[in-house]
Amino acid sequence: MTTKDPREAFERLRARAEGRADRNEGKTRVVVQLDHSSFAVGGGDVASALTESLPDSAYLVIAGSDGASFQAPKVVITTPDGAVKSFRNVDARSFAGIVSEIGDGIEGTEEDEVFFQHQRRVALDKAGAISSTDIGEYVTHGGYSGLARALALSPEAVIEEVKASGLRGRGGAYFPAAVKWEGARRVDKSPKYLVVNAEEGEPGIFKDRHLMEGVPYRILEGMTIAAYATGVDKAFLYINAEAELSAQRMQNAVDQTLGGGLLGGNILGTGFSLDVEIRRGAGGYVCGEETTLLNTMEGYRREPRLRPPFPTESGLWAKPTVINNPETLCSVPFILANGAGEFKSIGSEEASGTKIVSLSGSVQRAGVVEVPMGTTLRQIVHDIGGGVPGDRELIGLAVGGPSSGVFPPSMLDTPIAPGQLHDSGVMLGAGGVIALDDRTSIPAVVRSLAAYNADESCGKCTPCREGTPRMVDALDRLMEGRGSAGDIEELLQLADVVGAASLCGLGQAAGGPITSALHFFKEEMTAQAR
Amino acid sequence: MTTADQKGLRAVLREKFPREHGQLLPALHFIQHEFRYLPDWAMEVVGWHLGIPASEVYGAATSYTELLTVEPGRHEVRVCTGISCSINGGKRLLEGLQSSLGIGPGETTPDGRITLSETACAFMCGVAPTVSLDHEWHGRATVESVNLFLRDSDEA
Repeated sequence: MTTKDPREAFERLRARAEGRADRNEGKTRVVVQLDHSSFAVGGGDVASALTESLPDSAYLVIAGSDGASFQAPKVVITTPDGAVKSFRNVDARSFAGIVSEIGDGIEGTEEDEVFFQHQRRVALDKAGAISSTDIGEYVTHGGYSGLARALALSPEAVIEEVKASGLRGRGGAYFPAAVKWEGARRVDKSPKYLVVNAEEGEPGIFKDRHLMEGVPYRILEGMTIAAYATGVDKAFLYINAEAELSAQRMQNAVDQTLGGGLLGGNILGTGFSLDVEIRRGAGGYVCGEETTLLNTMEGYRREPRLRPPFPTESGLWAKPTVINNPETLCSVPFILANGAGEFKSIGSEEASGTKIVSLSGSVQRAGVVEVPMGTTLRQIVHDIGGGVPGDRELIGLAVGGPSSGVFPPSMLDTPIAPGQLHDSGVMLGAGGVIALDDRTSIPAVVRSLAAYNADESCGKCTPCREGTPRMVDALDRLMEGRGSAGDIEELLQLADVVGAASLCGLGQAAGGPITSALHFFKEEMTAQAR
Repeated sequence: MTTADQKGLRAVLREKFPREHGQLLPALHFIQHEFRYLPDWAMEVVGWHLGIPASEVYGAATSYTELLTVEPGRHEVRVCTGISCSINGGKRLLEGLQSSLGIGPGETTPDGRITLSETACAFMCGVAPTVSLDHEWHGRATVESVNLFLRDSDEA
């Protein structure tokens, strides 16, 4: 079986990819960043127009987004002598200019320094710069060297390396990745499954789509390493039904990886095999909860299951199942390629690595950003996001997601960390940061989050099913001037009971927006109360 | 082969979907793609094929936000009213549509032309506000761009 060194097989593969890339030498490189957000603002038209009119002296690359949604659609041109020019917010009119620039030769300009200089890219590294439809570019830019090294190690040694890196799950629960893998490895049952939870149904969070559309091969590389470490030979990629472009890019990546000997049977000549199947979800925040995801895959209602047993013991079709988030898996190739120490050197003392933050709302530069753990909200919102537009006033931040909480501007210096950011119920969650300005109000935002939780409650746990609509009712009474001190008491009690008596994260954290708002914004929340 | 009647649909399902419980959602997605929603009779056929009681098929179908059990109008307009979109004008867009169409979110115009709905997130908050017009998402949407679509859809 394991007779050949996978690193030798990989070097041959890389040499071939570099040979193919050399064919474009001396040509102008035209990169179109085409992700789902870019499509929504006309990126598709720009790409087709470029395809039709590109001179022979240039070649076109379809990439994902570099995260700068505010600049979409974006085209980046690199001349053979290395001059780079980027075109933002391109439309059919400015497009004519791009083509003529290629002919005339272009001047080099700086990339958008401010947006990127405070970021540290690990999971999103090269997103937007390299092709997301051609595996060759991923390989020539360092891709798959992590897998090559992993396959040269024993599965136990891979788990040790990940353990030493301190990597925690990036889906919101921040469970140590290596501990989960170890648990699955120890279970002596066959088959075992790996499920990648790319359902991404949490309002305000859009990072997994960026990963799937920008660096699909990195997700597959991480999956392959995870499968090797845990003893899995069948993996499922679970993608939201509406994320059509993400599913297309992943399917294309699977097909190409299969053809390149980096997936399927006998990966890099080691005898290790992995089959990847893409499944499509049908919406809903609660599907991001891992046992709900399993019910969905088996064709049942979207409801969570009792734990224990944990999925690593009894998951999909009652088989041991490792469930990972795409962002977690995208950190894994870096750890294997560069060593645990390198990963640990990023981030804070307590939490290593980076976190992808979906930054939106009232900021000048909205998009997907990746920063070291420990970065403050101020750095994210002001330095990277440019703060609120000039004529507006920042009134707070919605951090985490619908079941996290709200911060006042005075909490901007809070560093991001796995799990709780403040004991009133503010969590980092999957990493959403929405800047709120004076066009909205904290009670309105809290009410909208509470209504969302009530809508999304699956109904399995009575306290959540009955409690979440009652939270909305009490908030309405407060906001409409029919409320009293009793309503505040009821809200706090409901948050407590629903949190304590719910099976899954939705109910457990449903009180977060309310408790944090009553802590930080008591005056606004009760202004209308009698 | 046709999916227009029970017999034809059953034959198509037999060809496309193995008889496993886990095929329920893929089969429902297929039905919704064919009919734009899930007709009762088609859900029943899915149940026959997969060996799942119709009540369970219906129960599962109604628990997923993206599956529709009621036929929508000929055109579907979906406005994102998530926090980022709301702040950046999504709320105003929805209010404008409500008054110009004379219907609320979740309703269809009496002539069956347009169904208006809202969603909690379109997952492209960086190009807010967003509106989906017949399942195609548009970012940085304006009242004008939506009205243009509605006017053009009159002729279609």
